[in-house]
Amino acid sequence: MTEALHTGYIGRDILRREDSYLLRGQGKFVDDLPEPRDTIYLGFVMSPYAHARIRSIDASRARALDGVIDVLTGEDLAELTDPIVTEIDFPGYIRHGRPVLALGKVRFVGEQVAVVLAEDRYIAQDAVDLVEVEYEPLPVAADLETAHLDGAPQVHDHIPNNTIFSARFETKGFDPAPAAATHSIRERFRSGRVAGVPLEPRGCLAMPDHTADAIVFYSSTQVPHILRTALGKHIKGASESKIRVIVPEVGGGFGTKAQIYTEEVVAAALALKLRRAVKWIQDRREELLTSIHARDHLYEVEAGFDGQGVIHMLRVRLHTNAGAYSSLPFGCTLEPTGGARMIVGPYRIRNYAYQAYAIATHTCPSGAYRGVAQPTCFLTIEGVMDRIGRQLGIDPAEVRLRNMIQPEEMPWVNAVGVRYDTGSYVASLKRAMEMIGYAGFRARQPADRLADGKYRGIGICSFTEISGTGAPGWRARGLIRMPGFDSALIKIEPTGKVTAYISHANAGQAHYTTFAQVVADAVGADIADVTIVEGDTGATPYGTNTFASRSAVTGGGAILRAGRKVREKMRRIAGQMLEAAADDIEIREGWAEVRGVPGMRVSLTQIAETAYSMNNLGLPPGEDYGLEASDFYDPPLATMANAVHICTVAVDPEDGRVKVENHVVVHDCGRVINPVIVDGQVQGGAAQGLGEALMEELVYDREGQLQNANLLDYLLPTALDMPDIRIEHIESPTIDGEGGFKGVGEGGLIGAVPAIANAVADALAPLGCNVNRIPLRPSYVLGLIRAATGR
Amino acid sequence: MARERVEVSLTINGRTYRDRVESRLLLCDFIRHVAGLKGTHVGCEHGVCGACTVLIDGRTARSCLHFAAAVEGSAITTVESLATEAALHPIQQAFHESHALQCGYCTPGFLLTTVELLGRNAAPTTEEIRQALTNNMCRCTGYANIVKAVGVAAAAMRGDGAAKA
Ligand code: FES
Ligand code: FES
Repeated sequence: MTEALHTGYIGRDILRREDSYLLRGQGKFVDDLPEPRDTIYLGFVMSPYAHARIRSIDASRARALDGVIDVLTGEDLAELTDPIVTEIDFPGYIRHGRPVLALGKVRFVGEQVAVVLAEDRYIAQDAVDLVEVEYEPLPVAADLETAHLDGAPQVHDHIPNNTIFSARFETKGFDPAPAAATHSIRERFRSGRVAGVPLEPRGCLAMPDHTADAIVFYSSTQVPHILRTALGKHIKGASESKIRVIVPEVGGGFGTKAQIYTEEVVAAALALKLRRAVKWIQDRREELLTSIHARDHLYEVEAGFDGQGVIHMLRVRLHTNAGAYSSLPFGCTLEPTGGARMIVGPYRIRNYAYQAYAIATHTCPSGAYRGVAQPTCFLTIEGVMDRIGRQLGIDPAEVRLRNMIQPEEMPWVNAVGVRYDTGSYVASLKRAMEMIGYAGFRARQPADRLADGKYRGIGICSFTEISGTGAPGWRARGLIRMPGFDSALIKIEPTGKVTAYISHANAGQAHYTTFAQVVADAVGADIADVTIVEGDTGATPYGTNTFASRSAVTGGGAILRAGRKVREKMRRIAGQMLEAAADDIEIREGWAEVRGVPGMRVSLTQIAETAYSMNNLGLPPGEDYGLEASDFYDPPLATMANAVHICTVAVDPEDGRVKVENHVVVHDCGRVINPVIVDGQVQGGAAQGLGEALMEELVYDREGQLQNANLLDYLLPTALDMPDIRIEHIESPTIDGEGGFKGVGEGGLIGAVPAIANAVADALAPLGCNVNRIPLRPSYVLGLIRAATGR
Repeated sequence: MARERVEVSLTINGRTYRDRVESRLLLCDFIRHVAGLKGTHVGCEHGVCGACTVLIDGRTARSCLHFAAAVEGSAITTVESLATEAALHPIQQAFHESHALQCGYCTPGFLLTTVELLGRNAAPTTEEIRQALTNNMCRCTGYANIVKAVGVAAAAMRGDGAAKA
């Protein structure tokens, strides 16, 4: 770490402020909040069919149950709410609406058709079982690869071939067969369908406030401001000003809770109408059936390269499974545009073309789960690198190095126009190879391969990680309603204590700690005097909120900008107080001092007293009262972090089990705010990546029934599955944005998936197995081995 | 549907709670809503995630898999019993210092699993720690720091200061 980057609190391992109450069991998650005695509990009746017409709904038995207040259907809610429409301005996107409760038709198993209002949660569940819905089943299109074919059942009548989104792109003068490309590879890569599965399911509590036509809406969400706007928009007659969204503790988000869900709109609409508290807490089955799913992608790729392994042409056609509706706010375009735009990664690929499609199916809507398109697009390009190596007999690490953007080529504008300002692609790969002992592994590999009956392999993923996307980045992907900026309001109170109101919302990232570090440095306060307020639209300024590796970049940037204004004012006031020029004042850890004159100083408290007119010093001429400033930060198109994961695996040919034996990460998220928190993000992400690579998969059958909507059958990694991961950092601060920060939330997941898959592919390459789909569950791996060995 | 109610009395963290509750009321709901101890979390309600782990008569149990009425008379220990006003329990302290939590939803379950583990094995190996934690799921941390924290806690509770660093 360089000195200049880390002089204050930024860059230090500061222990988390959140821990003391969470460890004591005093964290207040949404289900822990005190609720009034007359709270109404909601239970949703979910469709058991993937595609059906609703013939009739008979709620008489449910209504008769003691403790049931009412049962409402899609028609009832249509009077209170407008259908959810995800507005995306992109040629090739077809708009469609989703009523908050199904109207006439259901389009996936779990879609809500009615809502029970009851006096407690047990009664709500009893009543849900008593609502009799008569369905007329219709033909189902659940499978990505067939849903877009002619004759497939249609999810929406106005969307032919279920092609809800399509896009094409070619670099200028694209040449599909350049002369230099003497060799070629065609391959397909397939990822399974997974989900974020935060340990705390979703839930909300809508409380009428004392003015009776307003509500305070507590929700386990990552996006309080976006949610509030959506509630204001979708509830008929509601005023956004009369809705205050508060985010309590959130038990994990991972993007799952960065969406606006129909249940939230229903709960808020009912609380506004009935003027009673309305609460809904989902159970795990509901969570797996209705919280956004992700991946389920097919990449068909073609690469042309020369005898040295250098790529001269890349062409991909990719399909993503959008599910039944475009989710709010990211819609169905996020994954196809993301994969198509990011696949070129840290490589010098100039001649590039893509076709990208999102396909509607009769399955749960997909959305933005940690990593979004990147695990599969890097599975694809990193799989291509390995295949080039195998075809030419060149080590796959060497193939990467030959294609990689070299340090002297930075800054780089990639094939789709995204600028990479700084990065450490070559250095990160080389360091990761040293850390894992790459050369030694390769030398031992033939002998080790079956020493204990297991195949061993090593896999690399070298990648760029898009983070901190600003407005231009969202516009480039058609998301016209996604702001891009975040904001901070910093107040030095009359007593000299500091309160910073940030537009973000915490779901485990330790914002109360890391933002305090940034605020303390930005204004020159003692960190003990800094309090962070966030996750409350009644207190914090507007912002885009917390997903897609944004908070350090956009929150950090906004804090620095607001902090600068406050600091300048403090310097002017201190200058007058100390009879020195403002330019000569330095502020640090609670004191303003005349540069070079130790002891010539005033405290922040004394400055604040002056600013708030609480002494007889008076302000400098022309200066206003108060000591606060707010500012916004909208980062550029994208802030590009990068990383390399390398891991080694042992594959047991007896049962197909894969064990990750070693895993190293070299990560570059620019200027690090708190190293142990950054490491935690990488470790946690890597566990989700291991799950995605080896075990997690939501399996729909042909009828669109989700086969494993429980945690016994949808496997999450446990402590026994995880290797010890060694992590090192290289810091290439961004020069295009504020503070040098790049995002870190998703890289742990993104890199682990291709690294593990490539390691398995490497282990099984001598058998001739082609590993091109995930998850690599034991039965699938065993099948590959048996097919290859003829056993 | 007749909702049968029964008188249930449970001792939770040394204090007795008595109420007439539905016979199907889950232990986790009794703890959370009758006793008002919200530190015990519910993540799956089907016995897999371990978020609801408590001690029943000193042994770990999933409070979502028991009816409150079925454990009538038992002594229940929840996360709220571990710290004093002034100080965290050594296991909690180790979790804090090792950065073993992020969202904190899984944490109470891990803490009680660790209480049980260290109660029967004061010096577990890393493998034994991983084995003991395998019934608790954490979606945030990737477990590395939790495994580390349990080792740090074990050392601290043995009074083995050197291992703390
Ligand atoms: S809530 Fe009891 S094990 Fe998950
Ligand atoms: S810290 Fe979030 S689930 Fe463990």
